[in-house]
Amino acid sequence: MKILTITSIFAVLLIVFSGIGCVDNTDNADETQSESGAENFEKTTTETQDIKVLKIFHAGSLSIPFEELEIKFEELHPGVDVQREPSGSAKCVRMITELGREADILASADYNLIPTMMMPDFADWYVAFAKNQIVLAYTDDSKYSDEINQDNWYEILRRPDVVYGFSNPNDDPCGYRSQMVTQLAETYYNDDQIYDDIMAANVAMTASADNDTYLITVPASEAINPNTNKVMVRSMEVELSAALEAGEIDYFYIYRSVAVQHGFKFIELPSQIDLSSIQYADTYKKVQLQMGDGTVVIGTPIVYGVTIPKNAPQPDLAVDFVEFLLGEEGQKVFNENGQPPIVPAITNNLESVPQELVPLLTE
Amino acid sequence: MIRINDLNRRWKEFTLMDIDLHVNEGEYFVILGPSGAGKTLLLEVIAGFHSPDSGEIFFGRKNITDLPPEKRNVAFVYQNYSLFPHLNVLKNIEFGMRMKGTKDRARIEKIAEYLNISHLLHRNTYTLSGGEKQRIAIARSLVTEPDVMLLDEPLSALDPRAQDTGRKILKKIHTDSRLTVIHVTHDQTEARVMADRIAVMMNGRIVQVDTPEKLFNRPIDDKIAHFLGVENVLKGTVTANDDGVTLIEVDGTIIEAISDYAVGDVVYACLRPENVTLSKMRIKTSARNIFEGEIIESEILGALVRVKMDCGFILNAFVTRQSAEELEVKTGSHFIASFKTTAVHVVL
Amino acid sequence: MKKIPSRERLKKAVKADPLMVSFSFLALLLLLFVFLTLSYMIIVQVTSDFPGLIAATKNESVIKSINLSMYAGLLATVASFLVGVPAAYILARKEFFGKHVVESVLDIPVVVPHTVAGIALLTIFGSRGLLGGPLESYIQFRDALPGIVIAMLFVSAPFLTNSAREGFQNIDPRIENAARSLGAPLWKTFLLITLPIASRHLLIGSIMCWARAISEFGAVVMIAYYPMVGPTLIYERFISYGLSESRPIAVLLILVTLTIFIAVRLLSAGWRIYDTD
Repeated sequence: MKILTITSIFAVLLIVFSGIGCVDNTDNADETQSESGAENFEKTTTETQDIKVLKIFHAGSLSIPFEELEIKFEELHPGVDVQREPSGSAKCVRMITELGREADILASADYNLIPTMMMPDFADWYVAFAKNQIVLAYTDDSKYSDEINQDNWYEILRRPDVVYGFSNPNDDPCGYRSQMVTQLAETYYNDDQIYDDIMAANVAMTASADNDTYLITVPASEAINPNTNKVMVRSMEVELSAALEAGEIDYFYIYRSVAVQHGFKFIELPSQIDLSSIQYADTYKKVQLQMGDGTVVIGTPIVYGVTIPKNAPQPDLAVDFVEFLLGEEGQKVFNENGQPPIVPAITNNLESVPQELVPLLTE
Repeated sequence: MIRINDLNRRWKEFTLMDIDLHVNEGEYFVILGPSGAGKTLLLEVIAGFHSPDSGEIFFGRKNITDLPPEKRNVAFVYQNYSLFPHLNVLKNIEFGMRMKGTKDRARIEKIAEYLNISHLLHRNTYTLSGGEKQRIAIARSLVTEPDVMLLDEPLSALDPRAQDTGRKILKKIHTDSRLTVIHVTHDQTEARVMADRIAVMMNGRIVQVDTPEKLFNRPIDDKIAHFLGVENVLKGTVTANDDGVTLIEVDGTIIEAISDYAVGDVVYACLRPENVTLSKMRIKTSARNIFEGEIIESEILGALVRVKMDCGFILNAFVTRQSAEELEVKTGSHFIASFKTTAVHVVL
Repeated sequence: MKKIPSRERLKKAVKADPLMVSFSFLALLLLLFVFLTLSYMIIVQVTSDFPGLIAATKNESVIKSINLSMYAGLLATVASFLVGVPAAYILARKEFFGKHVVESVLDIPVVVPHTVAGIALLTIFGSRGLLGGPLESYIQFRDALPGIVIAMLFVSAPFLTNSAREGFQNIDPRIENAARSLGAPLWKTFLLITLPIASRHLLIGSIMCWARAISEFGAVVMIAYYPMVGPTLIYERFISYGLSESRPIAVLLILVTLTIFIAVRLLSAGWRIYDTD
């Protein structure tokens, strides 16, 4: 009995302290790199001194490919622990710019967030490295799933008993892209009621035309005021996947990659409207969207962007990871997950990117 | 008044087995037994907090076996008195009336005065002493004009002085109201002093029902005798009290004790047999009570010998086996028994 | 009396009761941890951007969302009370086969991640869910007040149930027996005796339950993003505008709820805790 007690106390202490060891180490790795250096930390952890932590903040829609990259990268770099924190792209950026969190790599579902929100204080450059497209995901249980196709999807969504979802344009690039796709559909299908019927009638968002450009205005999140009988709005696109699986909604606007990864059925939309093709960049540009905070985004092909923040604790390791991401291995992973890589990847400024990356890039 | 037929009940570690009991109208009936015998369970079955697994209970001619407690019109006083802590004294006492939809302030005041608690009516229960709580619990149950009063160890939680008062009050209530009372206790003295009749309960069974005199003089088997012990409980009258030193006449013999009872009080002098010393001849001793007597019975109980002597009254004593042999204790021989004044515990 | 220097006094205290002194020190750490975290945010808000806080109190959507949080929280607390108090009473009074299982099940919401709880609720109360489906034409849970209440109920009910149960357990069943033999039927005994004696535990449980409900985000946002409750709005403001816009609402929510809790505590301070007798 006594032995058992002593053993268990020992075991608990062991677990607690081994945990502290790990945590200490990440701190150590972080702090020795930053200016505020912590000399006393270096001495406290000796055995696991060589483990380095690579912190990545990335968009939720990059979770699956980045998880695969994490495993492979850790195999290639023993002693490196990749720690990922997926969340909404805007939130990822704000964690760095507002909450003072430090990350080695930031990967956004819209490369444009990097120049608009992080430059010049938190980043100098970005690399656009992969593409995606907006689709309409559904399951066999969705109403009229046996009828829907690329030509009648907007008619199906108009039917009163169909419920569909999209994410909040203020929170999530997938959200404002869903709005753009719907607006672009008006021109493509030559039906100027599509946006009004599908979006404007159900949420407090409006579209106005000026010559051949359109401006969609989105109010503050709390004022979006969705007609909850007809549409389901969520902060993040991933939250809608659960709703589709639960049968709560019939369809939702989502990235092709997410639909593939979740095993959903989906309607591919014409490339003239689905924001997938650089070829139609000029068409996409005709739709703009003003978010609740006044920020205006312009329709662009869906391109993932990555950067190494200026205050990254492990910039050298981060460069290694980005190199790996842009290289052949990275390209393969992205292809498999329905997010075609851009080869060669595009940067805003070849002068300011780390030297090691230059061979993989074009301006 | 109360008749229990062939009652059985099993609950947690307690059991009631084949209980047959008859309590007369107006009787003060004591159920005496060691702790764990099932006494409280029996009382709770009579009150209706537990329903029996089998058997019947009659109040008068009415079968109340399946009646819920609130319809039995019994008063139940627990050892800890179970006053309602969120109500003041008056509201506690009123509770039973409120439940019956009557309001008789005069009766409450009368009972409060009777139990000497009128000054407490507006106090909160947590400020009261044990004795006060007991009187309030009794008042609370009396206002409902119960047919039967059930008392679960009503005196055990009190200090000796309050016990005396408590005993007096219970006796007074019983004498004045002729209420049928069932009183559960593990204390033989209490049982002997209070009861009209006593039922001895052991291991879930009623093993003997008798008047106190018969029970203590003639327990029907050795187990009961063993439980009752051979404690000396001597009924007598106080003949003098000089500043606490009390003389009590027991069957014509005077015993000296310490108490504050007044001359003329009928009291019980209690004496533990191990406090009685036996000797062949008068020896020098500080003990004030010295009696000569004849041994009428002796019995070996393990390392002890129980000796029953007739000294004008019956006196039980314990001696060790060794001294019994040395003294040659046997029936018919004469001995001197002595005990100290302070060894005598006097109760009313 | 001779004045003893504080250092001396501390030394004496350490010698006399080293356990309490070291425990006090650790307790102080916990207290500071909680207090500093919250008070620092409030102080920063008040000193650096007081007008922002004032503006938040005048902003209609902020007030609306805080009101909604409190109202839905209240409904969830009332519902917890109606179903949790009877459950608590049974658990406090009865022994039965499988009691441990029942207890564990009732405690599960405390350990389940709240987003998971939200998804689970959606599959039950969604418009095609196990219960939401049949009820669809009568009541809508998703993105509506009933959904918010259901999510809050799920995560906060254990707080009330556990506190109520502790309250009932502290009441001697003999007190209830006494009431019954005085003529009170079962229901009256429960309402007039048991419930009032346990009232303080019930009140504290209700406050905990309400507080948990008001602060709930994870489960609520899965089933009802709209209408927006306070925590959802805080989250939205943070994503759209960042810390400067979300902090005033957070501070306001804390201040409003703190005020109410302190008020309720003060009002009930006169209540005696009967069950410690």
